[in-house]
Amino acid sequence: MKKIAVYGKGGIGKSTIVSNLSAALAKRGLRVMQIGCDPKADSTLSLRHGEPLPTVLETVRQKKDAFALEEITCLGYGGVICAEAGGPVPGLGCAGRGIITALEKLETRGAYEIFRPDVVFYDVLGDVVCGGFSMPMRRGYAEEVLIVTSGENMSIYAAANIAMAIENFKGRGYAKLGGLILNRRNVKDEETKVRTLCGDLHTSIIGMIDRSDLVTEAETMKKTVVEAFPDSEMAAAFGELADTVVFRQRTADKA
Amino acid sequence: MRQTAGLISTYSSDEFGICSALYELGGMVVMHDASGCNSTYTTHDEPRWYDMDSMIYISAISEMEAIMGDDEKLIRDLTETALEMKPKFVAVVGAPIPYMIGTDLSAIAAVTEQATGIPCMGFAANGMNYYTKGVSMALEAIVRRFCTGPALRTENLSVNILGATPLDFSLNGSVDSIKDWIRENHMELNACLSMGCTLEDIAGAGNAHVNLVVSYGGLAAARYLKEQYGIPYVAGVPFGERFPVMLAGMLKEAAASGQDLVSYQAVGKNQTPPVPDAPYIGSDSDEGQKNIRYDGEYSGQERRNCQLTGKAQEQKNDSQNKRNVHPQRDKVRISIIGESVFSASLAAAIELDRGISARVLCPLDTEDQLLRECDLRTPEEDDLMEHLLETEIAVGDPMYRVLCRDGQRFYSLPHEAFSGRIYDPVNPNLINRKLEVLSC
Ligand SMILES: Nc1ncnc2c1ncn2[C@@H]1O[C@H](COP(=O)(O)OP(=O)(O)OP(=O)(O)O)[C@@H](O)[C@H]1O
Ligand SMILES: [Mg+2]
Repeated sequence: MKKIAVYGKGGIGKSTIVSNLSAALAKRGLRVMQIGCDPKADSTLSLRHGEPLPTVLETVRQKKDAFALEEITCLGYGGVICAEAGGPVPGLGCAGRGIITALEKLETRGAYEIFRPDVVFYDVLGDVVCGGFSMPMRRGYAEEVLIVTSGENMSIYAAANIAMAIENFKGRGYAKLGGLILNRRNVKDEETKVRTLCGDLHTSIIGMIDRSDLVTEAETMKKTVVEAFPDSEMAAAFGELADTVVFRQRTADKA
Repeated sequence: MRQTAGLISTYSSDEFGICSALYELGGMVVMHDASGCNSTYTTHDEPRWYDMDSMIYISAISEMEAIMGDDEKLIRDLTETALEMKPKFVAVVGAPIPYMIGTDLSAIAAVTEQATGIPCMGFAANGMNYYTKGVSMALEAIVRRFCTGPALRTENLSVNILGATPLDFSLNGSVDSIKDWIRENHMELNACLSMGCTLEDIAGAGNAHVNLVVSYGGLAAARYLKEQYGIPYVAGVPFGERFPVMLAGMLKEAAASGQDLVSYQAVGKNQTPPVPDAPYIGSDSDEGQKNIRYDGEYSGQERRNCQLTGKAQEQKNDSQNKRNVHPQRDKVRISIIGESVFSASLAAAIELDRGISARVLCPLDTEDQLLRECDLRTPEEDDLMEHLLETEIAVGDPMYRVLCRDGQRFYSLPHEAFSGRIYDPVNPNLINRKLEVLSC
């Protein structure tokens, strides 16, 4: 089982990329689980074609411990196991603490043993603003963190912050930084800027995704690009990135 | 009103359960919490505090440390103090603040261990769970950590006691009486988790033939010891006169068969009145568990395996002859409020010795298999009050008396985890003796 946490600035394209990776890997016959770690609970939307899925935290709030794993998971496109942590209503409670509890509940409900996924993706909200958002990178969860970034300054700052959190936790047995994914916004000197960031963080770009209207089009169809436009160049790009993410050797990272 | 205790006290929390379970083991226990009211653990809920030293500390987390997530200060303090005090282990225990800010105590323990070379464990307590959960976490962690070597089984049948803390058993000699009772029944005491026991004893817990689980807090450790060493467990506390005889037989039976038993499930379950030689048959209510069976006799093969001595066998037969009463469960007359294994054992003892049916009202953490069919889980004060109306007699901590209706008979059985040390001098030891000491 390979567990990967995907971080990055808000709105940078994490959920889009993770969902397409899940879909591409499912097409390759792998069993994938995607866990949205975001109170918005929209990570797996395109995999489940907009079908509603009760969030883990809402279910726990209503039913305490009297619920089954099936109530907080569903099978999306290609049999991808979807789960959404959920969280408090905006402006109240503690979203970070919510992520911890949601991930613990999934674990104690036996999600990993019962589904036995080959790959688990944690799609984690924006920046690592508090303890709860480091949960997916803690021991027992993801072994590897991927950061999605564009060449925009805000996105690069956010990526640097996430990398700093990972660095701070070295010695704790947490996840390692596995590399950056460049999601193009077509800003000036985009690739150069992100390569410079890679140098600072001693990491590499493991894949690049072009900006494309197909993403928006697929989104209106409530589907991933991989499902909606399987023969497109975009789908091929997601397929290639999926292979890199799952099958690449760690020693090849620095290429 | 739901989820409110308007009349009664509340139980000790998980942090206290951890402190209590680890108290005598030579470790340094650090509660990661603001300085102040958690000293109630030592002043109210720990009867050993004035007579026995133990390294129990509060980290005294400050508001700014909490806001800024300053784990480094805790790690520094832990490292410095551990290097100075040289404890056998370090336990960092969570509390509401670290819980809410998501402090990773296991990771902090791992970093401290690297710095000091002393075994360190992190406990995700949050002050919102009962002590039962804390005892369970602590005992499981300690056996997982220290009980790893190969098992060296002795020839004589030896027993671990799992789940003994003053929070359930006070310091009234109960735990010593359980130990004496084990020896009287020609078994050896191996380790007692965790009263009157060293960390070295615990490291050898894998040597026992059978585990006696005396509270819910001992169950998780028992499961680990089963998984790791194949040691079966028997849940029960030897209260009264007849139940201990039966329980001793079950320890031997479990040691021989390798099967886990919840001793009191076998009492009064079957509506056929027991006669000498008739089997007690009980079924475990936990789905998927095998039925438990206590037939009071062993096959020749089993007898050889568990080396029953003549004396124990004699005693057992003797008890079967005495067992001439059989409670009718549909006429439950006594409600016992308290911890599941403790209370259900007491209920079984009362049924066997007095012929009066008793059921448990359990407000604490437990599992269905540790309660009998007639017992109830009652986490809410309102429910408790309602259910108390159903029986003539109530048994429980004196602080429960206010929930009883006027004129209801109430037998007080002070429970340290509920009323602290207030009633200490009148706390009766009911182990392996006539049940007349319940004071009204
Ligand atoms: N490569 C792309 N080409 C075109 N549009 C894209 C691309 N990647 C993402 N988008 C669009 O950007 C928007 C935000 O994407 P997404 O929801 O995946 O971001 P996110 O990082 O998950 O956001 P949040 O932090 O809010 O969870 C979406 O409308 C998506 O369609
Ligand atoms: Mg998203």
